[in-house]
Amino acid sequence: MITPTSVLALRLAGPLQSWGASSRFTRRTTESAPTKSGVIGLLAAAAGIERGDDARLAPLAALRFGVRIDQPGTRVRDFQTAHHSVTGKSMPLSERFYLADAVFVAVVEGEHTLLAELYAALRAPVYPPFLGRRSCPPSGPVELGLHERARLEDVLLDVPWQASDWYRRRLLHQAPDKLTVLRERAVDERGATDALRDQPLSFAAAHRRHALRTVVTTHVALPPGPPDEWQGHHDPFEALPGALEDESV
Amino acid sequence: MTRIFLDVHALQTVPPSNLNRDDTGAPKTAVYGGVPRARVSSQAWKRAIRTYFREEQLLDPSELGVRTKKVVELLAERITGLDPALGVEEALRLADETVKATGLKTEVPKRKADQAKDGGPAPAPESKYLVFLSSRQLDGLARLALEGADDIRAFLKDKKSKDRAREIADTRHSVDISLFGRMVADAADINVDAAVQVAHAISVHRVENESDYYTAVDDENTEEETGAGMIGTVDFNSATLYRYAALGVHQLAANLGQGLREDEPRSEPVRRAVEAFVHGFVASLPTGKINTFGHHTHPDAVIVKLRATRPVSFVAAFEDPVRSNGGGHLREASDRLAAYIPDIERAYGDQETTLTWVLRVGPSTGKLTDLGTESDTLTGLVAAVGQAVAERLEKPA
Repeated sequence: MITPTSVLALRLAGPLQSWGASSRFTRRTTESAPTKSGVIGLLAAAAGIERGDDARLAPLAALRFGVRIDQPGTRVRDFQTAHHSVTGKSMPLSERFYLADAVFVAVVEGEHTLLAELYAALRAPVYPPFLGRRSCPPSGPVELGLHERARLEDVLLDVPWQASDWYRRRLLHQAPDKLTVLRERAVDERGATDALRDQPLSFAAAHRRHALRTVVTTHVALPPGPPDEWQGHHDPFEALPGALEDESV
Repeated sequence: MTRIFLDVHALQTVPPSNLNRDDTGAPKTAVYGGVPRARVSSQAWKRAIRTYFREEQLLDPSELGVRTKKVVELLAERITGLDPALGVEEALRLADETVKATGLKTEVPKRKADQAKDGGPAPAPESKYLVFLSSRQLDGLARLALEGADDIRAFLKDKKSKDRAREIADTRHSVDISLFGRMVADAADINVDAAVQVAHAISVHRVENESDYYTAVDDENTEEETGAGMIGTVDFNSATLYRYAALGVHQLAANLGQGLREDEPRSEPVRRAVEAFVHGFVASLPTGKINTFGHHTHPDAVIVKLRATRPVSFVAAFEDPVRSNGGGHLREASDRLAAYIPDIERAYGDQETTLTWVLRVGPSTGKLTDLGTESDTLTGLVAAVGQAVAERLEKPA
């Protein structure tokens, strides 16, 4: 009998995110959704797993991963120069790509005890989380909830639509009827898949290694927006009309 | 594990300026909350902070590092400093071997090698990547090189000396390296993970870049037909920026290693680094086109939080862009923060262990007063934060 799994859900939102899967050298691209290595890295950092500690990383890397694109965002190209500290001369230019204004729900599925530990670690991280690049801190907490005895597919179906208020307002009359899900294949699943080289094997600085993993692209019906309670928390500007009146004084 | 996080938030208004430009010369931007914003990259501001450390002498030069490819030349200078009898070429050779023993690859740049063929002096090898070394590390390596000066190759072939070279390059990191990290692609074991996370600064309001068409008059042109000596355009914007950085004090302490001197308390180097960081983050400014625009400003409001759980960015307070209503953006931005911070802290913060300081200027930022202990001056803020960090390091919350 297969042990029932749990699922840890994260909300990945911030002004900028950058999830590179194959970038090196001076052109650092981003995928259009969070990578498994990026999200596992975020969890490992929160748990205080050091870069070279492949043994502690292994159980995290073994979690099944999926991501739902709640708000796709737009691509930003950043152009960076560096200067030689002694001569002041320009160094090679580099291009970095970011996703601006995007919101994702990322989930990992696996054994409950491990996920409970990671959930706790996110609330008191050793190394704070970032969205693919250190200069991209999340806005608001990333942990969204721990679902016991659940499957990744079902959680991605049920978690409320996490898109920002402005985005939902803008799409009020033309809301998408479905959201794209990119997830790993289940153990017993067949059928065509894509592959992405973002299965982390080692984050050791000397030899970062990634293997291929499967990516199944599906869609889920658009879930309802967040419940009022959550909304109340993230929309704290109800007091503002009063504040604006002050200004006219 | 003891966690000590420090997060620093600032609202800063800059007049028409171009602090950080992209490849077309226009100020950098990003979209947030569905509208375009002014953006200053984290890299640009980190560089400004590092420069500020040096120029304002917030730290002793021995506590700072240098980021360069010319590591062999720098080390050779230290070596001749210790033993002036050594010739330049000999010092360069010792330095090159020692640098290589730390695991870095060096090579003579092709352009310089070609120049040397035409009879120029033998050029010094450079490391293949920008290397960030602390002053103390360079001193240590210079001493090691002199120790083996009789036969440097044989000396460094010995595993013990080689290990010492690596150890010197991987301990006693400078304050700036401990804060911002060091990346060396070909000698991974002397990488340092940054203890600080600096976010891209973004405007709290919608910003469209503007373009200024200019003409320059030729003062000496009296005879010919009058007209511009030169024409062009310069792009700029003005913005009220939200700036955010988070510092893992426990990680910084690990990067810095043990105290510099036996007679200092263990927390002393960390306190000094934290103070320099807060001061540098608040007061530094990227200098892009500063002579054109003179955008010298300081933040109107600074909020610092010392925490035992996790850092929190308040950028979501500005996802809905601030509208000016004719009175600038600062007042509403402050009001937003004053409403948002207690809200998010109640839901996710740790009121018991979190300490908050506020430094603010002018009536527009008035609502921020109640968020924490007010400091009258930046110096006062920096000292209060440093003191609290030192206390927490000695006695965790």
